[in-house]
Amino acid sequence: MSSDDAEAGPDADRPLSVGESMALIEHEQREVRRRLRVNVALFYAPWGAAYLLGFGAVYLTYPSDGPARLPGAVGAAVTGVLFAVATVASAVNGARGGRGLRGPSRVVGAMYGWAWPLGFGALTLVNSRVIALGGLSADAASLLWSGSALLLVGVLYLAGGALWQSLPMYALGVWMLVTGALSVLVGVPGNFLVLALGGGGGMLLTAAYFTVRPPRSPSRA
Amino acid sequence: MNASGGPPLGLDPVIHAQARLRVTVALAALATGDRITFPRLQELLDMTAGNLSTHLRKLEDAGYVEITKAHQRRTPVTYVALTSSGRRALADYTTALRALLAPTDQPGG
Repeated sequence: MSSDDAEAGPDADRPLSVGESMALIEHEQREVRRRLRVNVALFYAPWGAAYLLGFGAVYLTYPSDGPARLPGAVGAAVTGVLFAVATVASAVNGARGGRGLRGPSRVVGAMYGWAWPLGFGALTLVNSRVIALGGLSADAASLLWSGSALLLVGVLYLAGGALWQSLPMYALGVWMLVTGALSVLVGVPGNFLVLALGGGGGMLLTAAYFTVRPPRSPSRA
Repeated sequence: MNASGGPPLGLDPVIHAQARLRVTVALAALATGDRITFPRLQELLDMTAGNLSTHLRKLEDAGYVEITKAHQRRTPVTYVALTSSGRRALADYTTALRALLAPTDQPGG
């Protein structure tokens, strides 16, 4: 069926044979689902890259056995820029997918999407306050951040997996919890390597999975 | 195939037309309870506004489609959704097609 068929005016009103009808239903279903589908992989790929490159850069700012391989400011700058890019990419992808749609699936998507900035806003406040009042050392503060941030990320993926009945998303949630716990156990600066490879790798693998197998639901956001 | 072009027996004449079947199938692909704006539906289906309006009116008259108007920042927006009877009509229509296609279930029409 080309788009011309629909433009054909009176011909578009023409009754169809049974076989034609069946073929049209199947084609149209496939086509509409494909065009309404949110590119779910785009929620994971920028974050995976940001974790891998950002935390990888931070890891390299620590001296292994000699001078640091990267200046400290570079690690912070790379991470900051990549996280900002990933935040914008997620927001734009979510908004684009729901373009022209309204209803329960959009409400679910928007509520879930806002859970991320709300959660991280609260976490930033709590951590900053604890670090300031507790007089935490730079290393202890670093571990507090990697552990708590990955815990929140993991739990949000668990919630998303439950919400959209997505086993890969749920599995990523479990993986992020494990990664966060491991980063705390490893200590500084190994925690950054764990975040880069474990966290970034997990999200990039999830992006690859959803590229090969996009979720069936059209309104997934 | 059916060269005469007449509607085969037992098929809902409201849905059994290319343009309206496409509209119905597209709306059925939305998650239950979701609505789509007229322009986005038009874009999905590659139909002219006039053509789409005409067919939507026929589907609305049959009770298969619900059209609501809302305002977003003072601009009127038209939303379209399949009603539950529209969803049922499409399911019944598909079942009828399958029955006509299956040689064992052929009622002879």
